[in-house]
Amino acid sequence: MARKRFVSTKVEVEGREETRIVEVPEFEPAPWTADTPMDVVGQCVPRMDALEKVTGQAIFTADVRRTGMLHAHIVRAPIAHGTVTNIDFGGALEVPGVRAVLAREDVEGIRYDSGQLFDQTIRFAGQPLAAVCAETPEAAARAANAVIVRVESKTHAVSIEAALAPGAPLVRAKGNTSKHSPRVMERGDADAAMRTADVIVRREYRTPTALHTAMEPHGAVAEWSGGQLTVWESTQGIFNTRSDLATAFGLKLTQVRVIKDHMGGGFGAKNGAHASTYIAVALAHKTGAPVRCVLDREGEQVDSGNRSATIQRVTIGATREGTLSAIVADAEIAMGVGGWFASPAKIYHEMYACPNVRTTETFVYTHTGAMASFRAPGHVEGAFGLECTMDALARELAIDPLELRRRNYADHDQEKSRPYSEKRLDECYRLGAERFGWKSLSALGSWPSAAESRGPRAEGRFKRGRGMSSICWGAGGGPPAYATVRMNPDGTIDVLTGSQDLGTGARTVLAQIAAEAIGANIQDVRTVLGDTERLPYTSNSWGSQTTASVGPAVRMAAEDAKAKLFEAASQMLDASTEVLEARSSVVRIAESREPRAESRELSFAEIGERLGDIMILGHGSRGPNPDKTAMCAFGAQFAEVEVDVETGRVRVVRFVAAHDSGRIINPRLAESQLEGGILQGIGFALFEERVLDAALGLPLNPTMHDYKIPTLADLPEIEAFFVTGADTVANHIGAKGLAEPPIIGAAPAIANAVADAIGVEITELPLTPWRVLAAIAVLGRPSGPV
Amino acid sequence: MHLTVNGTPHEFEVAGHETLLSVLRERLSLTGTKLSCGRGECGACTVLLASPGSARRTVYSCLTLAAACESASVTTIEGLGQDGPGGHHPLQDAFIAHDAVQCGFCTPGQLLAAAALLEETPSPSASDIRVAMSGNLCRCGTYPKIVLAIQEAARRMAHGA
Repeated sequence: MARKRFVSTKVEVEGREETRIVEVPEFEPAPWTADTPMDVVGQCVPRMDALEKVTGQAIFTADVRRTGMLHAHIVRAPIAHGTVTNIDFGGALEVPGVRAVLAREDVEGIRYDSGQLFDQTIRFAGQPLAAVCAETPEAAARAANAVIVRVESKTHAVSIEAALAPGAPLVRAKGNTSKHSPRVMERGDADAAMRTADVIVRREYRTPTALHTAMEPHGAVAEWSGGQLTVWESTQGIFNTRSDLATAFGLKLTQVRVIKDHMGGGFGAKNGAHASTYIAVALAHKTGAPVRCVLDREGEQVDSGNRSATIQRVTIGATREGTLSAIVADAEIAMGVGGWFASPAKIYHEMYACPNVRTTETFVYTHTGAMASFRAPGHVEGAFGLECTMDALARELAIDPLELRRRNYADHDQEKSRPYSEKRLDECYRLGAERFGWKSLSALGSWPSAAESRGPRAEGRFKRGRGMSSICWGAGGGPPAYATVRMNPDGTIDVLTGSQDLGTGARTVLAQIAAEAIGANIQDVRTVLGDTERLPYTSNSWGSQTTASVGPAVRMAAEDAKAKLFEAASQMLDASTEVLEARSSVVRIAESREPRAESRELSFAEIGERLGDIMILGHGSRGPNPDKTAMCAFGAQFAEVEVDVETGRVRVVRFVAAHDSGRIINPRLAESQLEGGILQGIGFALFEERVLDAALGLPLNPTMHDYKIPTLADLPEIEAFFVTGADTVANHIGAKGLAEPPIIGAAPAIANAVADAIGVEITELPLTPWRVLAAIAVLGRPSGPV
Repeated sequence: MHLTVNGTPHEFEVAGHETLLSVLRERLSLTGTKLSCGRGECGACTVLLASPGSARRTVYSCLTLAAACESASVTTIEGLGQDGPGGHHPLQDAFIAHDAVQCGFCTPGQLLAAAALLEETPSPSASDIRVAMSGNLCRCGTYPKIVLAIQEAARRMAHGA
């Protein structure tokens, strides 16, 4: 057997670059180039699980039914900061149908958001303190409400300002900022360059805490059987969840099986075991019965992650011609009680050519639920500050905003001085502007100067404005990822890989890649995902990674299976494997190799039938990433808004998005991802904001009525598309990630359009009617943002 | 109480607090109807309800008490289009064709809301669709595709296809 080689490679996940030791596959197929003829890849194959979903047959976690299953409900902290002095379960145990309670002493050592589960020190309102389980969900909820929690409350700090104030109450024993704060990243000499800049603009921005608000809340069903634990979980990472559970309960990985079939959205919040998972498992252990623990909506909104709120102070210096001299940004980022360090600063270093950039980030702990990855974490927040300041600079210089961005085009990775595998942002600018009709703006005259632009551009109640933004996002994916492709005796093909489909279309896209590589009809191929016990490892479905990470492994597995299929067919067709080709689930002798030969071909089914129980089995793994190469997705977005200056309401009228993500495996599903990202971006721009009562530290809008996400009535005309091609340097299928980029540019494009419409910049999201009215109210004042 | 669900009559004893959603999901295992907010804000639990003597309309089953549905007839996603060609409603085919489905969690509710719209307004305008569908949230952002799917289903139904 050939020896495996291992090398170190770099993989970027959610804006974080990691070095990993990975194995080098025995062979890697030649890249599919932009000119490689394709039968299945690039086609709008209908989503393969759509029929199950439109008929109500798709089983989501809360739909799993196990014999004797009990239902859990979580008891949550009623205050933001303090100590539990007593929990009285007496009333709960009297509720008919209650079977067990789970208290702090039952969960010793189980860590959750960097703290002990059911910690009796309360650090945010909604923190899990205990749980109950009962025979029905209603009884469990009643019992949880009957639990009496006595607390001693302390002063809390729920905002960045409150947590950083002198003498602020401590969220963590070691202080309210993370240990490496302030985190400074600098290239060049930003201060020196700023001193010699012709023009300097300064702004301060605020972005809100946004909530994922997936339609399906977090949830798990846990069942123990003979020392084996099976968990059905709504998760983006079955293997992460498995290792979390093995650690928490002292189990071997072979004792834990995590299954995820369908899930109702994740958006970054479902990347491992959650409190609900641990609670279901612990209660199942305690009662000996299967237990379901699904969060109610309020639990979901207060305790399942969020996008960090930020304050960003941005200074950009430039020459008169609009060449960037220096960028300086200082940011405070609200973590809540825990999470990781999603960086708003990174995009300031990446987006434009600029030799002098310095960012300073202070990550602040607050008495609120922990942050979690949320679709392009960091970049969404940072892009708002950077892209709005770019527009402010454009106005200052009287340069068209698109032209300003083009003048500062980064032709290589500025941060690490390395080439991009491919970058076609220039085409995104050109095609996006063309489809949007951006030129007609300059037809009005030159981009209005700062002075001219103050004040509404037109008379009347409804003001129209236009704005744009640029996008970049590390989306090259990487190893490790494994896949197995097997051909059944009837010629059908199973793609087996331990990935997840969150609603993204991964099942369909991976089947298309396999079908293309092995030469099968797409109807004959299915993808099996989401089971740690029976499928080979892939990482979480996060960071827009799945297609670029798992896709090459699937292709390689299919190529490996094809090679074996050809070996078998060469015997049956009495021809060498070199002259064989496979298309539409048929192996034939290539015409070019044997012109005018009598038709000799065998369908996959015929080959399978002759092979009987001999199985065609192919294995594939994801190879290392190219050395010293940045792999990013790019995009340019253009928004037209209408502002009602009497009510302050902003309506997005039209939105054009041009994106570069390398090869697109399925254009319709990819378009759905763009539209979805844009709609979430519209929500972030206009409506979405977790509101806390400053005095009590309690969430004021943990419902879907009060936390507004876009409805169909908010839908603008959206034109979202990709520049076509294939990134053959990034990986051999030529695809990069595409799910996160579309949310990045939406809020700044919309905010820039609003500024264009009303002639005044609004520097705090969301652009609610009252913020718009407040901005309009200061129109008469001297220049400067509000 | 008596309740007809997707054409099949049932008899239950229900507690006063039991919701129609709970009866459908927990007693009948019709799990196509989803619980997301539990308070009539998101539309994931939408079903069609015809009380005796009245036309069927959409209700949020999470807010509808089962006891208030005496002798009513309920259509859930499992029963939508069960009498149609191939056992599907044209909307279901159109949702697949236009990719009006991402994670699929809101999809049953979307389809029932759309079915009610087309029963009342066979050729809905863009504005009709906005009004009728804005009570059904989708976090994945399938709205553009839902509009296309409803328009196509309306066309196909008008031509008897």
